Amino acid sequence: MNDVTKRIQELENEKETLRSKLWKQQRKPAGKVGYLLLFLGFVALAASIFVPSNMNYMLAFVGLGLTFWGALLLYIKPTRYVKASLLDSTAISNLIAIDQIIADLNYGGRGIYLPPRYLRELKGGTVYIPSEDALTIPPVEEVAQERVFLKNPNGVCLTPSGLGLVNLYERELRTDFAKVDLDYLQNNLPKLFIEDLEMAEELEINPQNNLIHVKITGAVYQDLCREVRKLRNICNSFGCPLCSSIAIALTRATGKPIIMEKNEIGPDGKTIEVYYRILEE
Amino acid sequence: MYFPLTFWDISLWLAVTSIILLATSEILSPYYGRVNIWINKKRLKLVSLTLGILFMITVVIRVLEIIIF
Repeated sequence: MNDVTKRIQELENEKETLRSKLWKQQRKPAGKVGYLLLFLGFVALAASIFVPSNMNYMLAFVGLGLTFWGALLLYIKPTRYVKASLLDSTAISNLIAIDQIIADLNYGGRGIYLPPRYLRELKGGTVYIPSEDALTIPPVEEVAQERVFLKNPNGVCLTPSGLGLVNLYERELRTDFAKVDLDYLQNNLPKLFIEDLEMAEELEINPQNNLIHVKITGAVYQDLCREVRKLRNICNSFGCPLCSSIAIALTRATGKPIIMEKNEIGPDGKTIEVYYRILEE
Repeated sequence: MYFPLTFWDISLWLAVTSIILLATSEILSPYYGRVNIWINKKRLKLVSLTLGILFMITVVIRVLEIIIF
C-alpha cells in the first residue's frame, strides 16, 4: 500500500515538472507583443489623421487603444525575473559551509534568535548556537561585544541567513518590526509574501501561547528547503533563509528570544510548517 | 488633416480604460491560473490610478466650463 502511495506521489511530482516545462515552452514574449501593438496603434492613429475616410473616428479609437495597450504591456513587464533554481544554487553553498563549521565545532544546541536589545544595530540580527543542547540565553553584555565565539555560556553567535530578507520585508512594509506587535505580523506578512513579493502562495501565522505555528504553502524556497533538510545542523538550528527571516521578524516584534521548535515539510513537498517558541528570559 | 477624436471622446475612453485596469489590478493574482505574460502589479495599479486621475481632471474641466460659461 505504501509503495503505491509513494509511486502516486512520484507520478504527481513528475506531472508537475512536465507541466511547468510545457508552460515554459508555450510562453510568449510579452515584449514582442507590446511592440507589435504599439506599431499597429501608431499606424491606425496616423491613418485616422492623414487618410480621409468615413472610418476616421473608429480608426482613431482603435489606434488610441492599441497604442495604449502596447505601451502598457511594455511598461508592466517585470524588470527581471530569475529562476528559483538559480536562487537555490546561490544560497545552498553558504549553508553547507555553516553546517560544516557547526559540525566541526560539535555545537549541538538549537539556534536562539536574539531580539534587537541584544544588538548594537536595530537592523541587525544574531542567532546564538550553544555548544550543548540546553536553552541557555547569553547575557546582553556578552552578546553586545559582537564576538563570534562566546565563552560564558559557551557558544557561537552568527549572522542569520534570513537577515537580508527580513530587512527587505521591513523596507517593503515601510515599518520597523521592533515597533510593531505580533498582530501586525499576522495581518501584514501574508499579503507581503503572497502579493507584494510573490514568494509564496499562502502564509498562515497562528500564535498559541508561547508557540507560534507558521504554515507556508508554495514558497519559492521549497526546493532549497528540501536540500537544506539533508544538512544536519541547519534546519532546527541556524535556519534556511525563509524560516530564519520569519524567526527574526518574530523576535523583533515580540522582543523576546525565539527558537525553531519543529520544522517539517508536507508529503506534497509544497507545505512547510514551522513551530517557533518564544523563550522567557 | 485633423485628429478625429474630441476632448470628450478621450475623456470617455479614459474613464472606461481606467475602470477596466483598476478592476484588473485588484482581482489579479500571480497564482490564480497560469498566464503567458508576467505582470508587475504595482505598475498596473499605478497606470490605472493615473488614468483615473486624468479622467477626473477632464471632469473638473467640464464642470468649470459649465460654471464659467
